[in-house]
Amino acid sequence: MVGVIKGVLKEELQNSLRMKKDYEQALKNLPKGSLAVREIRGHKYYYLVRRIDKKVKYIYKGKMSEEEKQKYSEAKELRAKYRKLLSQVKKQIRFLRSSLRGKEAI
Amino acid sequence: MEKKQYELCLEILRRFHKANILNDFVLIGSWCMVFYKDYFVSIPFINHTTLRTRDMDFLISMPNKIKQVVDIPILLKDLGFVTSFRGSRGYIKLDHPDLILEFLVPAKGKDSDKPYSVPKLGINAEALRFLDFLSENTIRVEVEDFYLNLPHPANFALQKLIISHRRTKEDKAIKDRNIALEILKALINKGEVNIIRQIFRSMPGKWQTKIIRGLEETNEKEILGIFKK
Repeated sequence: MVGVIKGVLKEELQNSLRMKKDYEQALKNLPKGSLAVREIRGHKYYYLVRRIDKKVKYIYKGKMSEEEKQKYSEAKELRAKYRKLLSQVKKQIRFLRSSLRGKEAI
Repeated sequence: MEKKQYELCLEILRRFHKANILNDFVLIGSWCMVFYKDYFVSIPFINHTTLRTRDMDFLISMPNKIKQVVDIPILLKDLGFVTSFRGSRGYIKLDHPDLILEFLVPAKGKDSDKPYSVPKLGINAEALRFLDFLSENTIRVEVEDFYLNLPHPANFALQKLIISHRRTKEDKAIKDRNIALEILKALINKGEVNIIRQIFRSMPGKWQTKIIRGLEETNEKEILGIFKK
């Protein structure tokens, strides 16, 4: 039974390591920055807020199509979700590594 | 089992049901044990806390007969699933810290490493041996307001005994054998000895021999007695 549990933990560690890479890649693939709206005299103007070389820049986008706005809004939600899940995966990796390293027989 | 993990599993099944594709799948792998609980109701033998990984395996027994067009990776994207292509072989896994979804099809003909494309579902499935045996005798269990297809526990257990011989890692072989024995004993307690025997006899001779040899090694006399009668 000891070997079986250890085998399962090892397999799960491999899975979590793969998953970490997947989430990091998924975060990289999302469009960078998020949208900010400024309303001037009743008209909405959009800016893309993103970090460029440690500085936060507002890039003027003007009027945007609904499709493009949707893309950025989805990316914002997914980014938050992926970051949360990535942090969960990192915790799993720490836990699995410490379990496999433990002095007591598993 | 973590409540969060079970809730995610149910949400996936709900979505497949809503998308009208749940009936195209048979849930296989260690997650079957969770849903066998209704089949073994009042049988104290079965252990619901069986050691299992996060892998949730869906068998597509007839990939050519799928009618609905549903992009599964997109269907589950907002739950946080990311698609990973396994190695160079190209079949996909949908990863989430709580569950890993895999899609399998029965392997036909010569052994091949190539993925089996199921374009209607937006996935590449892995083709594996001995899966037909799981889909040829299934049961349906009620989950919330829908039904889920599972292999009959006897088919599930006997298939586990066969594949335990093909495992290269010993710990995996032991895990398969333990699950198989646990289910077979639960079936005996339920009074389904004749069903086990009938399914065993429907198997090709080579498979029967492999199973008997494995049971002789582990000295499982009670179960051996059923097959040898």
